[in-house]
Amino acid sequence: MSLVAAFALPHTPQLLVRPPTEDRDLVLRVHAAYAEVKRRLVAARPDVVGVIAGDHIEGFFLNAVPALAVFVGARASGEFGRYRYAFDVHEPLARAIVEQGIEAGFDLTYSQDVRLDYAFYVPLHFTMPEPRVPIVPLYVNVYLPPQPAPRRCYAWGQALRRILDARPERVALVASGGLSHFPGTDRYSSPDYDFDRALLASLAEGRGADTARLTGEELDKAGNVELRTWITLLGAVGGARAEVLCYEPSWHHGNAAVAWPL
Amino acid sequence: MESHYFFPPASAYALNRFLFALKSDTAARERYAADPQAAMAEHGLDEPTRTALGTFDRDRLVTLGAHPYLVFMAQVRLSMARDPQTFEHF
Repeated sequence: MSLVAAFALPHTPQLLVRPPTEDRDLVLRVHAAYAEVKRRLVAARPDVVGVIAGDHIEGFFLNAVPALAVFVGARASGEFGRYRYAFDVHEPLARAIVEQGIEAGFDLTYSQDVRLDYAFYVPLHFTMPEPRVPIVPLYVNVYLPPQPAPRRCYAWGQALRRILDARPERVALVASGGLSHFPGTDRYSSPDYDFDRALLASLAEGRGADTARLTGEELDKAGNVELRTWITLLGAVGGARAEVLCYEPSWHHGNAAVAWPL
Repeated sequence: MESHYFFPPASAYALNRFLFALKSDTAARERYAADPQAAMAEHGLDEPTRTALGTFDRDRLVTLGAHPYLVFMAQVRLSMARDPQTFEHF
């Protein structure tokens, strides 16, 4: 059945915990975009949601830094503040992705024991259909250099699509991350909104493949290290034209929600 | 210019391990809140590192090799634990 829906969504925790530092109306507009994504996800009737996200040094620390990984356990769980979350994992699909991904030349790490980062949780908190469907957490290293090259992320997304195309499940993919933000650095309050707007215009023209030619240095400079998750998804959706559901630049974060008609 | 997120130097492993614990381990956060000096000593942090952590001097910590995101989120999580009522503001 292959891919039945594809979205890219922000996961900044301020959208979840709503501190007084945030513009309430802006946050609510992003929530409205999440709600639209949830409606579309429900309509797509997925059997499983694959979430492509970067670990914020939560599940993986410096004991092991996988470039690309898949969670292949029964249930993935984690916490952020008062939020405790757990999701069933679609083990047959997760296992098929690891086995066939490795066969295709991607030396994936897998884990059955890793805490699920909020990058996976925040989009699911707002968009998971009811009743819930199982997930497959797909990891791309974004914060611990050296990260995988954008061209490698894109190629992995292409390989992932080939794997999904041969599967019986209806799969929705959600890339979690972005856009420009610089947490922990002196650039925190000055994201690169121009980069984001040019990127979104390019994606709306169906030029997702161009992102494979970005360099890691360019992503770091633009506050878009997390774009690797989007680039992976772009490998899977190919030349489809993106529909930008929202772009809401806050004082620290370019919040973008994007859908790809399939 | 060095990248915003740089390769974590091995010399900063203990510091990054400590920041990771503050970020992701409730017990470590409570231990630090109760007795910061003891918590830092237990993690084997040297004097310059302890001094920088005393004021959570980001620039100094990053110069010592701390991962910027770990500095950021350790502070956020300490703040969330200290003042939970400042969240869910609307």
